[in-house]
Amino acid sequence: MVGRGRDTYGDRRASRVVAVTTARRAGRPGALWGLVFGATIAASATTYTSAFPTAASRALVARSLEGNAGFEALFGPIHRIDTVAGYTAYKSGMFAVILAAIWGLLIATRLLRGEEDAGRWELFLSGRTTRGRAAGQAAIGLGVGVVALWLPTAVLTAAAGGGSKVGIGVGASLFFAAAIAAAAAMFMAIGMFVGQLAATRHDANLIGAGVLAGSYLIRMVADSDAALGWLRWASPLGWIEELRPLTGSSPLAFVPIVVLVGALVGSATLIAGRRDLGTGALAREEAPRSRTLLLGGQAGLTLRLSRPAIAAWLGAFAATGLVFGLVAQAAGSGLRGSPGIERAIERLGATRAGAASYVGFVFLFAAGLVAIAVAGQIAAARNEEASGHLENLLVRPVARWRWLGFRLALGAGLVVAASAVAGLAAWVGASSQDTGIGFGDLLVAGLNVAPPAVFVLGVSALVFGRWPRAAIGFAYGLVVWSFFVETIAAVFDSNHWFMDTSPLLHITPAPAAEPDLTAAAWLVGLGLLAALAGIALFGRRDVVGE
Amino acid sequence: MDAAISTHDLSKLYGTTEALVGLNLDVPPGEVLGYLGPNGAGKTTTIRLLLGLIRPSAGRAEILGIDCQDEPVSVHRRVGYVPGEASLWPSLTGSETLHLLGRVHGRLDAAYRDALIERFEFDPTRKVRTYSKGNRQKVVLIAALMSRAEVLIMDEPTAGLDPLMERAFRECVAEARDRGQTVFLSSHILAEVEALCDRIAILRSGRLVEIGTLAEMRHLSALQVEAELDGTVPDLSRVPGVSAVQVEGSRLRCEVTGSIEPLLALLSSAGVRHLTSREPSLEELFLSHYGADGVSSEARIDGG
Repeated sequence: MVGRGRDTYGDRRASRVVAVTTARRAGRPGALWGLVFGATIAASATTYTSAFPTAASRALVARSLEGNAGFEALFGPIHRIDTVAGYTAYKSGMFAVILAAIWGLLIATRLLRGEEDAGRWELFLSGRTTRGRAAGQAAIGLGVGVVALWLPTAVLTAAAGGGSKVGIGVGASLFFAAAIAAAAAMFMAIGMFVGQLAATRHDANLIGAGVLAGSYLIRMVADSDAALGWLRWASPLGWIEELRPLTGSSPLAFVPIVVLVGALVGSATLIAGRRDLGTGALAREEAPRSRTLLLGGQAGLTLRLSRPAIAAWLGAFAATGLVFGLVAQAAGSGLRGSPGIERAIERLGATRAGAASYVGFVFLFAAGLVAIAVAGQIAAARNEEASGHLENLLVRPVARWRWLGFRLALGAGLVVAASAVAGLAAWVGASSQDTGIGFGDLLVAGLNVAPPAVFVLGVSALVFGRWPRAAIGFAYGLVVWSFFVETIAAVFDSNHWFMDTSPLLHITPAPAAEPDLTAAAWLVGLGLLAALAGIALFGRRDVVGE
Repeated sequence: MDAAISTHDLSKLYGTTEALVGLNLDVPPGEVLGYLGPNGAGKTTTIRLLLGLIRPSAGRAEILGIDCQDEPVSVHRRVGYVPGEASLWPSLTGSETLHLLGRVHGRLDAAYRDALIERFEFDPTRKVRTYSKGNRQKVVLIAALMSRAEVLIMDEPTAGLDPLMERAFRECVAEARDRGQTVFLSSHILAEVEALCDRIAILRSGRLVEIGTLAEMRHLSALQVEAELDGTVPDLSRVPGVSAVQVEGSRLRCEVTGSIEPLLALLSSAGVRHLTSREPSLEELFLSHYGADGVSSEARIDGG
């Protein structure tokens, strides 16, 4: 006779396990990102009050920046920048929104599609739930992650806003945090949805990254010319801009955001309930022709597996460089006669004014993007090890140093190629606008952003060689920290020890200044040494899984 | 002749946890060694040390006279490895994966690969992500066997295979042995080990507790004796080697270690109606080290 166990949990409570587990795994990183965003916003607000203490200095900033197409294309529309709130929204808004969107996308694909790929999702589904219900429960869990991100962002913003010199109201602070959290929510929903369409988490991430890049480019074009402003409504990131947090709070733009999230979560839940586990709704040909191209060894395999990501990054840098070049002339003209902004750019090392100054400034941010691409290479290497795929190579005659060495060489190659592509594309854009900046100058400006990324690659490889489980967090953390320091340094006369912690601040804003070859050599040299140390350490440690 | 696989005081600690302690093992060329132990006994740790995937805390290991830590690439040229859980690139097809692994290994018998694909009834045209666990296991099995490596190291190689495929696997291992290949087979399937292995090593809590042929182990182990006597069962407490005595009227059940003659002499004098004796199976030998519940006797003593 079959014994009857005591029914400790009812069906409803049992199915909540998915929501609770997902909430736990999304809530912790969400709260951490919220702390980062809150601290960045608080730092932006308080530094503005110190850097621009008088009404006259603020008016000067406003005169030069408001309506500056180049800066608006890069960081979003500039409203009421002569106020602490306006400056804070402009300075930290786009930064936080982009990072929140990336986090939202990655956490959603990880906790749904990633769990499915790893076979752990089946454990949930073997319990008292269905595929559709489990997906819906996971969406609730992800929602908890959004709240966890919103809360510290709102609290820290409100706390900083309460200062007498800052004066940002509690309501405005909550609204600003909600705008950032909305970006995370939208891209979580996108991640959830594309996770149902794609065959693997990797594919889902690529599709999601494409949506994010497309969304960013559309808003970039929309913000570069007032006549194209309507295009913002065609981009999820544009909707966030239309919310106008801290500069006029327009909650109407929440409507398309809520509709998008609702539609995507609903569709994802529906598809999850109908498709077979382990497959994508966009069914692929599962008996494809065998293609052995690049499968002759570990190097070829690495290249083959990295091709989609490399192509996506190069495309993104070509598009970004082109937009930089197209708006350089207009942006540069706006900068003339603006001592405040020119001083900010001078702090970062610029000696030339006008379009060159603008290009030099935005290329410092491009340096950060190249570093993100490089951090992705470290993440790919670690994931190859954690998933167990690497063992298939290392139990055959493949030397560890050769595998990691090739991976790092590929990363370095990506850095050089991305930098050159950004420079070339900027030249194509700039030459159509008669900026007077030559091909050589822009190619050098592009290549000038490579050394910090090489440094990030090298030190991250060192961490990978010694503490593999910390490598991904370190690589991305270093890039985020560098952005943060760069942001502070642009508005503040900072301590040089503090500034030195950002590899991005060791290069000059070429073509607004001559490239600092000595600093570049140091960055590349140290990166190379660290990479060699990382390779040596990797050869002497255990291969470790997740 | 040098051992194909040898370890010398090989140990691995994870913090204070002893995963493997002072392992001394020699596997001669052409031998199939069964490596047994319950979960967490240190079997996979041993294999990862042999493959140079992890560093030993002490001691060393050699395969075909080459140090596994100092020259892993030279070792891997001569080794085929089958993991217990095949973790493969999901975007590649089965044939692409076999092509890649063959090229990376550098040794490939294409005709034998095709024969193995047929023998294991494997469809290599599909993407790895669509394969069942058993089919993914076939990929790594074929990849290891097609290299015709001198040493095959297998960690639970038949996990997920159906009985027909398991039989095909046994044939392949038997053929490998006939060709002179050395096989290090870690397995939970005792029938598989009993059928294939020349010698058996048993591991408990990271320590090697027994190694030898099945016959040697049986010789050292207790014989199971059951008898029915004409009269009452005599006192057996003074008979050397007799233990676990159970008496039910005129029926006797006991175990005998060493010579059975003193027991037979005593029972004959009491009048034997019926008597059977049986050597222990590998399962009984294995369980005698751990107890029927799978918990080692040492652990039970410690715990109790």
